Amino acid sequence: MDRVIVRFIAIIFVSLLLAGCWDKRELNELAIATAISIDKKDDEYHVAAQVVIPTELSTKGGTGSSPVTLYEANGKSVNEAIRKLTLVAPRMIYLGHLRIVVISEELAKEGIDGTVDFLSRGWELRSDFYLIVSKETDAREILNIQTTLEKVPANDLFNILHTSEANYSSTIAVNFFEMKTNLEREGKQGVLTGVQILGDSSKGSSKQNVESIVPEAFIKFEELAVFKEDKLVGWLNDNESRGYNGITNQVKSTVGIVSCPEGGNGNVSIHIKKYKSEMKSKKTNSNNPEIDLKVNIVANLGEVSCDIDLTKQETVKMLEKEFEKAVKTDLQETIKVVQEKYHTDIFGFGATINKENPEKWKKIKGNWDEIFSEMPVNIDVDAQISHFGSVLNPVGRSTSE
Amino acid sequence: MNLFKKNRKIVIQPSPPSKSEPKSMPESNSLRLKLEENLQHIKSSVGESSDIVFREIKIGNEGNIKVGIIYTEGLSDSVTLQQIIMETLMLEIKESDIDLELTSDSAVLTTLKDFALTVGELTEVSDFDQLFTRLLSGDVIVLVDGFSTGFIIGNKSWEGRGVTEPTAQTVIRGPREGFSENIRLNTALVRRIIKDENLWMITKEVGRRTKTNVAIMYINGVAEKDAVDEVTNRIGRIDIDGILESANIEEFIQDSQFTLFPTVFNTERPDTVAAGLLEGRIAILVDGTPFVLLVPALFVQFFQSSEDYYQRAVMASLIRLLRFVAYGISILVPALYIALITFHHEIIPPALLVSLAAQREGVPFPAFVEAIIMEITFEILREAGLRMPRAIGSAMSIVGAFVIGTAAVEAGIISAAMVIVVSITAISSFVPPTYDIAIAGRILRFVFMGIAASFGLYGILIGVIALVLHLCSLSSFGVPYMSPFAPFNLAGQKDSVVRFPIWKLLTRPSEISKNRIRQRATKVNFKKSSHSKRSQDG
Repeated sequence: MDRVIVRFIAIIFVSLLLAGCWDKRELNELAIATAISIDKKDDEYHVAAQVVIPTELSTKGGTGSSPVTLYEANGKSVNEAIRKLTLVAPRMIYLGHLRIVVISEELAKEGIDGTVDFLSRGWELRSDFYLIVSKETDAREILNIQTTLEKVPANDLFNILHTSEANYSSTIAVNFFEMKTNLEREGKQGVLTGVQILGDSSKGSSKQNVESIVPEAFIKFEELAVFKEDKLVGWLNDNESRGYNGITNQVKSTVGIVSCPEGGNGNVSIHIKKYKSEMKSKKTNSNNPEIDLKVNIVANLGEVSCDIDLTKQETVKMLEKEFEKAVKTDLQETIKVVQEKYHTDIFGFGATINKENPEKWKKIKGNWDEIFSEMPVNIDVDAQISHFGSVLNPVGRSTSE
Repeated sequence: MNLFKKNRKIVIQPSPPSKSEPKSMPESNSLRLKLEENLQHIKSSVGESSDIVFREIKIGNEGNIKVGIIYTEGLSDSVTLQQIIMETLMLEIKESDIDLELTSDSAVLTTLKDFALTVGELTEVSDFDQLFTRLLSGDVIVLVDGFSTGFIIGNKSWEGRGVTEPTAQTVIRGPREGFSENIRLNTALVRRIIKDENLWMITKEVGRRTKTNVAIMYINGVAEKDAVDEVTNRIGRIDIDGILESANIEEFIQDSQFTLFPTVFNTERPDTVAAGLLEGRIAILVDGTPFVLLVPALFVQFFQSSEDYYQRAVMASLIRLLRFVAYGISILVPALYIALITFHHEIIPPALLVSLAAQREGVPFPAFVEAIIMEITFEILREAGLRMPRAIGSAMSIVGAFVIGTAAVEAGIISAAMVIVVSITAISSFVPPTYDIAIAGRILRFVFMGIAASFGLYGILIGVIALVLHLCSLSSFGVPYMSPFAPFNLAGQKDSVVRFPIWKLLTRPSEISKNRIRQRATKVNFKKSSHSKRSQDG
């Protein structure tokens, strides 16, 4: 009996020593990649990984050299390229803390299926990093720019995306999981935010880029890339981008401009505080579906440069009317552009119909793109201006009287 | 498990008491008639040790009766001996009406006992075993020539520590007296708190050579009779030459010999013992140590301080909660750190990961080795600090703090984060109010570190499950160790992790005592009564 116990203990001990530690990786054996870029040129993928240099970021301060470094490799697939990164990097690239994946416009136009497959197959990757598309430039260039406030460029990209999405709503932070869902889901196509370099991109890589007040090169998020299936088909401009977010109820806060209601120069900025849009498929007898879009807005006055009397209820009512009209026009135009130019249902109208009326969806999904392009959308906007800020009447007006 | 059981049996099994000690007169153990022979026998038995004092006197009006007085110097009160015993026998008896020489032979002893010896504790003795035990405990032996029966006069008095403040279990609010080494003093301290005739005491002598007094105290009717019998039985089975501390008893009577966790509670505070007795627990007091044992002991009990009942209920509850958290920290934090650093980088927030990576840059050891080095260094420092003369303390703390804290990090051997982990662990390990449970955590910490280094979080989880299973399998004198959690008992939660206000604690712990009602009164509405009183006054 004693022998059995001794053997049992021995087995446990041996298994601890032999089976344990097999996937052990010490922190200083990792190259923590915060962003990767994927380009495609001549059937070859080009992957660049932005790897942080921890000592440069520590509170003790580093040697003053760049806080990140870029490792690059080519390969027939993304996976191969990533493996080939070890030819240039001293440590295995660790993708667990990836925050941003930049896809080049060219690759996006060819299709991103393979890339998405790689990113979702690896167990090490989380699915909460953001996908962005580099516009009119190689994706690796985006990762090759030193940034000021955030030392790690990937964090800079990540945070710009976050703040702009929350405060201006022309961008949209699409994480990998959402994009993958859009690719697999019926009746909803994906969009990704575009990113571009302003200034002299060739000077962006050096640390000198961040030593002057105005950097030589910097990054700007602009326009939304419209996808059809896994391919990029076009871009939405600033106004349309906000329209897109407005339709899909992804506006958190933004600002809208209304020209003066009684004519004259100047305009009124309206700061949107609460925004809610609701999409419903209209019940019609005919086979042609219709979508009802109901938008509710609560807003504040942000800036007034018109000569209007805000103490009167009618003025406010009039402003609200004007604003409703402006929003409605914006939304309508966005829909029109997408319907006429791109023929791809990025708003998820199809998904709404599928959800509310699956029978109907089955009948129409075969030629959904054509139906979508023709489909009427009824927009109803209700805006309410609730706060005027710290002053009531426009600043110039009160003194002139 | 048979291996363990066998061992245990060996320990407990009463072996026949050995009588191999050389005796000058092995044929009989009872006292002789002749005083000479008796004295000779005692002298040779104690090896003519110089602290055993023999005094032969002659009493009676004519001085015809020979009396031998034997006592141990230093253990007996010499003032009482001289002023009461010797004076009575030698002087006062002559002045009195009693004439010993005229009384019949057989009545001499009775006369002495009934009329002469003016002392409180007096027993007759007729065999050497008892005589030696009492003699060496400090009592005075009076032998009369011509009788095979002598007297033992209770006269123990030796220099000992008085009642001082407990050092191991201090409180901010609460009684400051602690037990001492003298068992009589200790029982008196308990009696002074519980003045109930149902506070009963069973006294036993344990240890063939030390003949240590062990008192089993309990409140009759509150403590379970079975438990009392079990305690008495287990103590009765101990057959060893010496008991030096209550820990020796504890090792013999605990339910499970192979566990890190204490299943017998110990305390040096009379109020804790009194509280335990009132809950139906049984106290075991051992002569020669201020540490009193309390059984049955539950896991939660080791996280409860007597002060919990002297502080406000809310505060006490929060502090208890804090102790459990700290205990968890002291066991698991180094293991978690190792697991995260070596396996699960993805659950560390990015900013923290970069910061940790920066600290580990250039550290030559794997996290596990680093942790082991630091933990062992700390254990060495702690052990050194415990035993070394107080005067060197400050020097060592400087060296310790400097070596661990600064130099190791500066030299790049240890990462700063590791120092933080070890420090928080070290501090947390001092939080549990009882030392015994804290040491269990110390060992477990190393076990968990090993598991974490091999299997990561998965291993830690398995380890925790195994630990919980082990804890649930333990029991203390028939009471499940993890109660009132497992088996779950809702009423018991009132005084386990949290402490309800004292007026809510209406019952005793059901696992320990079947006599459950401890108070009948509900909370008095003082506000109302004081108000009505005032209005009457007005």
